[in-house]
Amino acid sequence: MLAGVNKYRHAFLVGLQSSLVYRWNFAVRGFFSLFQLVLVFILWGAAYAGSARIGGFDFSQTVTYFTTILVLNFFVGAFNEDYQISEEIRNGLINQFLLKPINYFLYRLSIFSSARVVSGALVLLPLALVLPLLHHHLVWPHEAWRFVLAVPALLLSALVQFTIAYCFGLLTFWFLEIQGFVILSMAVESVLGGQIFPLDLMPAGLFHVAQYLPFYYQMYFPAAILTGRIGLVATERGLGLELAWAAILLGLAQLLWTRGLRRHTAVGG
Amino acid sequence: MALAAYLRVWLASARYSVVRTLMFRGDFFIWSMVELFWMAVNLLLITVIYQHTDSIAGWSEYEMLLLVGTAMLIQRLLMGFFWSSLFEMGRNVRTGAFDFFLAQPGHPLFMASTRKLDLDGLLNSFIAGGVVIYAAHRLGLHPSVFDIALYAGLVVAGLAVHYSILVLTMSLSFWLKSAQNIEGSYFTIAEFSRLPREAFRGIASVAFVWVLPAVVVGNAPARTLLHGFQPWWALWLVGAAAGWVSLAVFVFNRGLRQYSSASS
Repeated sequence: MLAGVNKYRHAFLVGLQSSLVYRWNFAVRGFFSLFQLVLVFILWGAAYAGSARIGGFDFSQTVTYFTTILVLNFFVGAFNEDYQISEEIRNGLINQFLLKPINYFLYRLSIFSSARVVSGALVLLPLALVLPLLHHHLVWPHEAWRFVLAVPALLLSALVQFTIAYCFGLLTFWFLEIQGFVILSMAVESVLGGQIFPLDLMPAGLFHVAQYLPFYYQMYFPAAILTGRIGLVATERGLGLELAWAAILLGLAQLLWTRGLRRHTAVGG
Repeated sequence: MALAAYLRVWLASARYSVVRTLMFRGDFFIWSMVELFWMAVNLLLITVIYQHTDSIAGWSEYEMLLLVGTAMLIQRLLMGFFWSSLFEMGRNVRTGAFDFFLAQPGHPLFMASTRKLDLDGLLNSFIAGGVVIYAAHRLGLHPSVFDIALYAGLVVAGLAVHYSILVLTMSLSFWLKSAQNIEGSYFTIAEFSRLPREAFRGIASVAFVWVLPAVVVGNAPARTLLHGFQPWWALWLVGAAAGWVSLAVFVFNRGLRQYSSASS
């Protein structure tokens, strides 16, 4: 059991070192993500100039929401894991994992976790720089349950995000090029995950439907808990649905893996 | 190399790209959908905001649609003509495959920028143009032929600015060898071209209106359709295009000196 855990701990540590090699990549990305916040300030600031409250929330609550989304993106979001998995399948690098006593999903999840530790830490640096300008607009709810329930919501959110990326990566068993699918899906995920606008601003019917889709749990759900956009009952119900989606996606990932391997041809060493 | 020779090289690359697209029709369909979806995301954002407010910085919904459509048109043209080639530039610099462009008989920036043409981007530029026409129709605009010609000219100037920003972003690869996905930085800056000038105040106005040309790129052509010829806006955009293209060429050339070939 301990040996089992140990090999993924080593994968995590190797992933940590590998991510640190790309620290400039994350740092540049983190720096440019601040532009995203500036964009939020300008666009939503102009929208709020004509209306004190939009969808029942004031400007500061909206800024807090988008700041939270930005930070969560670096801590739990999938970056290019789908592409990395796709490359390993396409180049035959995956063959080495088929011969070793290691679960490819868990190995990749360990690498993903280490990368998020590095990217998450690096986004805090530029954010700390703008905090003196930003902190007047950050308003957090005071209920303690939000911060308690946000923990499982965030962990499940990371799992949902990674598993979706993993499934897209596995599509390489069937398709030579998956980038098109990935970016197509990114557009859908950005909207239905609440990264473009808070989902509660959509018409009520659409918002209701969105709650039954996995994208809702990628980003909007944990951000909505932390920023006070949903109540306790909706959070408890959401956690159940998030867990269900995590289980469904894990099942799908396993199915794609076993079916994909049947199509896979390992050539060379 | 003479201008005519450059044109011949570009036409040969375009022909190669068309043949390649016809070979991978499924890929063409998927990427067309990708671009279409991302345009829909931008339009959706505007639609959702205007469900809750009547004006953004004094711009009505269809005025904003015209601005967003114009910004999308410029970006689609960039995607169609230059994106794939410049996207690969970063990777080629890292792997040493950039040697291939240095061995060609033309300026490496031209060679590296025009190798591939993306028909999906060009196809979607018609859809972006359709959004502009639809918004103009809803606003009851009747621009003169001169206004339309000026609009087209300013769109080309805006394309030059976007191209320069992308070249500057990708040129970072010469210095930051371990940087990947830095092209995303271009998209971040480009998003500002979808916002009206009046929304920018204080330091944001200095940074994104005066220092970076992001805002003028979308606003100058859109205002030409909305309010007719405005010399100040036209001069501003054309001047910005000339300045930023010069800067991009300068930085690219400096970056080339850092390039240490495949043997590094």
